[in-house]
Amino acid sequence: MFPGIDGFHWTFGHILFLSLFLVVAATIFATVISAVWRTARDFRTRQAIDFCWKANFSELPISERRCRHELAGRVISRTCDNAFDCRHCAKYSQFAVLPATGHASSLGLDYPNDRFYHRGHTWVRPEEDGNVTVGLDDLAEHLVGNPDSIQLPGVGDQIDISQTAWRMKKNGREIAVRAPIEGEIVELGGPTKGWFLKVRPRLDTTNPLTFRHLLTGPEVHGWISREMERLQLQLRTPNTPPALADGGTLVPELMNAVPEADWDTVLAETFLEA
Amino acid sequence: MASSVLTDSRWIARGEERTSLPRFLLWLSPWALLLALGVYAAGLCLYYGLNQTNMDNRFAFGLWIFLDLGVIALGAGAFFTGFLVYILKRAELKPILNTAVVVGFICYSGAVAILMIDVGQPLRAWFTFWHPNTHSMLTEVTFCISCYLLVLSLEYIPILFRNRQLRKIPSFFIFEHQLHKLVPVLAAVGTLLSFFHQGSLGGLYGVLRGRPFAFRTGFLIWPSTFFLFILSAIASGPSFLMLVTATVEKVTGRRLVPQEVFGRLAFISGLLLAIYVAAKSVDTLVWLNVTSPSAGFAPWQYYSHKPFGTPILFAEIVVFGLLPASLLLFRKTAEHRGLLLTAAAMACCGILLNRFVLTVQTLALPTLPFDEFLSYVPSWQEVASFGGVIAYGVIVYSLSYRYLPLFGSKGETTHVSGN
Repeated sequence: MFPGIDGFHWTFGHILFLSLFLVVAATIFATVISAVWRTARDFRTRQAIDFCWKANFSELPISERRCRHELAGRVISRTCDNAFDCRHCAKYSQFAVLPATGHASSLGLDYPNDRFYHRGHTWVRPEEDGNVTVGLDDLAEHLVGNPDSIQLPGVGDQIDISQTAWRMKKNGREIAVRAPIEGEIVELGGPTKGWFLKVRPRLDTTNPLTFRHLLTGPEVHGWISREMERLQLQLRTPNTPPALADGGTLVPELMNAVPEADWDTVLAETFLEA
Repeated sequence: MASSVLTDSRWIARGEERTSLPRFLLWLSPWALLLALGVYAAGLCLYYGLNQTNMDNRFAFGLWIFLDLGVIALGAGAFFTGFLVYILKRAELKPILNTAVVVGFICYSGAVAILMIDVGQPLRAWFTFWHPNTHSMLTEVTFCISCYLLVLSLEYIPILFRNRQLRKIPSFFIFEHQLHKLVPVLAAVGTLLSFFHQGSLGGLYGVLRGRPFAFRTGFLIWPSTFFLFILSAIASGPSFLMLVTATVEKVTGRRLVPQEVFGRLAFISGLLLAIYVAAKSVDTLVWLNVTSPSAGFAPWQYYSHKPFGTPILFAEIVVFGLLPASLLLFRKTAEHRGLLLTAAAMACCGILLNRFVLTVQTLALPTLPFDEFLSYVPSWQEVASFGGVIAYGVIVYSLSYRYLPLFGSKGETTHVSGN
């Protein structure tokens, strides 16, 4: 049929059919190339990083997307639609001036007031040298205990808000811990040091806007009490009705203490994996 | 630790309940055995040639071509649903879209696989593109099916990349998102390709002047069977989707799509089936009274050979055509799940019967005065290959259902705005 084949002669039918076929084939090919090119562009412009988190956030259960002002008792009910980035929330200032009515109970966990908390259970503590220290919060430490292995980024690497900061393995399950702040890694820690990363923030730490996306004060207690409720429901004995225990504290190394629990779900919801 | 070895929960979308891995493997095992037998039989056919089959020069189309025509018609739900959702903007059918793509992919890849065995010489598969018979409608079918399988594969990728573990790979995730945004283009291309190859498969029979049972007049270069195949495919595709979804719902004991989706699919299928039955009836009357007599054949002589008597014609048009069309169009049927699925199954059976008649009855009937009525019973290799394709479909769908978001709000991709 094609030129070069013995006995081939072009006819109008050949031209029409081949043209149509080539247009179709070119359209399919162009579609794939376009998708590949757009993907590469997104990575080049770092839009991909932002997009991954936003897409992940949009698929989190609504119960995990509660607004910080609801957690603090400033509003009755509000779902976050800014991927936990209050710096770009038009309503933040409107609600932040309202009095917090949430109660503050210790819940047996240690959440010091000198640091800010990310919903992925990490904390940020500003240091005097302008850097910040990043660590795993008390609830996450109770859950994971001593990880079987840790994969930290390298010194000099960049991390971005809500992207994976480091990975841990526990009982064969991989946990991706989300970064609470953006910046450059300047020092590495570990569980024995009580912190995991020291970071030189990309933004000025004297500007309150730099930490606005992180929880603080009464928001932390509201958030942790809901997290505790979720944990109690998820860790209850299978086929038993939901019941919330009153009082008591978390035991350390929960993953070892309750091995029969659905840890895939528990870890996914704790560390904000859709 | 033993329980963690036998679990695959981290591959299953969060919040989705699936049976345990051992039970799932138990479900797959008989299908895997059937697939293995099919692969062995296909290997025999490819190695020793078509003497492994009961086909010959007179009976060149058998079980395999029937299977091809059948699954390609039933797989039409993929392109037609894509056409309705992306081109006609019928958003209410979105919950069924992913499963339509998977069903279409299975049907077309299965059809291409069986064609590879039937044609043989897989190492020379490229000949069909470089040395095509430009006078054959099969050339157009080959080109279109190859392209459309590529389109279906591309439509399948975004679903595949939404697997819980695969989506953690950023490049996969972004590519899936970008490809998903371009899926309307693929849906439009798929619609164009499908219309042509569904039609050409029908036209293939309609142009057989040497087979008066199949020969039809038509419009310009296209015999009436060209249009009837398109109509019947887009009528049966939605019915087959309903059947597949309802079967999965039955097996899993879960409600996967809203009842309104079933109602909408039933109406679409019923309406198109009614139009098809009307067109088929007119076509049959024209053929019986004009086309066949002008070729020198008394029409009723076709039906004098048992088992291909007039009951088959009656079954094709009335029992599996008019009756399911009426049931599907009747609003009360859509509210009664059992009745709805019976009607959908009847519609699918009708289309399969039509393909069987055109493939097997056409070749079995004598044409020349010295011809005899031919009977054909497929060899075990043909049956095993046929079974292998069915098993392949069940396995691929089962794996897709277990590990990919095929249904529901989590199933339909939630894409954030921007970039």
